[in-house]
Amino acid sequence: MDKPVKIRVENLTFSYHQTQIFENINLDFTDHAITAITGPSGRGKSTFLSILNRLWESQPFAAMQGKVWIHLDGQWVDIYGRTLSKPDLRRKVGMVFQTPNPLPMSIYKNMAFPLKLTGMTDKTLVDAKVTAALQQAFLWDEVKDRLHDSAFGLSGGQQQRLCIARALVSRPEILLLDEPTSSLDAGAASVIEDLLTELKKQCTLIVVSHYLDQVSRIADNALRLEACGFSQV
Amino acid sequence: MNIRLLGGCLRVFSWGAVLVLTGSVLVLLGYLLIKGVPSLGRDLIFGQVDILDAVLLRKRVFDGLFPAIAGTLSVVALSVGLAIPVGVCAGIYMSEFATVFQQRVFGLMFDILAGIPSIVIGLFGFSGAIFIHRYISNDFRPCLAVSVAALAFLVLPYITRTTQAAMQGLAEQTRQAALALGATRVQNIFYVLLPRSVSGILSGIILAIGRCAEDTAVIMLTGVVATAGIPGSLLGSYEALPFYIYYISSQYTDEAELMSGYGAAIILLGVCAVLFFLAFIIKRRLAGPAGPVTGRFHG
Repeated sequence: MDKPVKIRVENLTFSYHQTQIFENINLDFTDHAITAITGPSGRGKSTFLSILNRLWESQPFAAMQGKVWIHLDGQWVDIYGRTLSKPDLRRKVGMVFQTPNPLPMSIYKNMAFPLKLTGMTDKTLVDAKVTAALQQAFLWDEVKDRLHDSAFGLSGGQQQRLCIARALVSRPEILLLDEPTSSLDAGAASVIEDLLTELKKQCTLIVVSHYLDQVSRIADNALRLEACGFSQV
Repeated sequence: MNIRLLGGCLRVFSWGAVLVLTGSVLVLLGYLLIKGVPSLGRDLIFGQVDILDAVLLRKRVFDGLFPAIAGTLSVVALSVGLAIPVGVCAGIYMSEFATVFQQRVFGLMFDILAGIPSIVIGLFGFSGAIFIHRYISNDFRPCLAVSVAALAFLVLPYITRTTQAAMQGLAEQTRQAALALGATRVQNIFYVLLPRSVSGILSGIILAIGRCAEDTAVIMLTGVVATAGIPGSLLGSYEALPFYIYYISSQYTDEAELMSGYGAAIILLGVCAVLFFLAFIIKRRLAGPAGPVTGRFHG
């Protein structure tokens, strides 16, 4: 494989309540590819994703050693270093959770939320970005007439695509997805699978998945998480 | 013992407990209504003064409950208004910024504060007033401001604890949604955590309103008097419904006065009911379009 590397994990050791979850992990993730992470429940698949966007840090009793490098704008950046703030990192490394988590507001406001966080107020620019992201997430046609309805009125699959679109609004370079289809029926899941394959063009995707058939359909690389480490599938 | 028998006993006992509770509430309300309703009327509240004159403060009401109602409303509004910002901020700190150790230490402090009898808090307010009177200003005496401050202390733990519980009760996914989108911790608190905790926080505020409206011990020591008229200044004395009820029931001179005490009790219940209802409406309004609310502490 000579595709460029996007994420490099070096000597990662992670513990929670003094229990070792990862021990001395070294891993590379290929740019513009879907890497799937599988493995039994409770081994730390979700925790691993949260290490890549530093979301684990809000948990007490967790501790990490090692380095995570991400290739951003032609440079290797240590995401735990001082050069990149957490909000900036999380705009570059988007995340989608297992159950869709739209905020209690309208579809439009959900989409504009990440832009509001950065202080963007130019309405036409916000509109353009919202529209583009919704189109990318195959959701525009379904919601264009009801943008100001509550996001909770959407079906589960639509909510999950809304969450993906919301993450895309900040134009992330990496998208982390934690079992994004596990709460959806087969039809909705297949739309999301197609969407992820399409998103490869602009992002590097890391998908945690329980379903081996899903992994074989969409993943370019697959890693299996075992006791304290990863193995190539 | 036979498990079935035990289960049967528990069932009968639980039923009995519910019946006793419901029965006591009904008896209490019924007794109050039977005794108090005959004295209810325009005269009980406004005495001989015209309603419009009284409400517009053109004439002072001497023989009615209007000044006491105004006093109770002012005390509730001011002390809850003082306690909300402090209590909510303390709750935010406890939930979002404190370490586990700090949560234990401060949590214990708030629980101790919540457990202090109101008469002790009243005494504390009284001592504070005496201190100011002696060392800072000779004109200072127990007054509305002292009552308001002491009552705010009394209800602070409720607001802090319910705020903390409401915010900590939010699902992990809700707490992380905005963070994962690049929100700072403060943005997350203001845009997501606080709005989603409003319903829980309001439950604490409702508790606080009830506590401020009914408390007699604190205000007795810190500035309430039998006759003061409408509260005109933070530094003046005032009247309040619970104190009126206490005063009239211990010092009534004839049957009519005692009856007016029952009337005052009904009015106090009514004032509380109106305040609760307002808070409930606000709670519904704020929590209504917010979609499914998650977490253990949301009513």
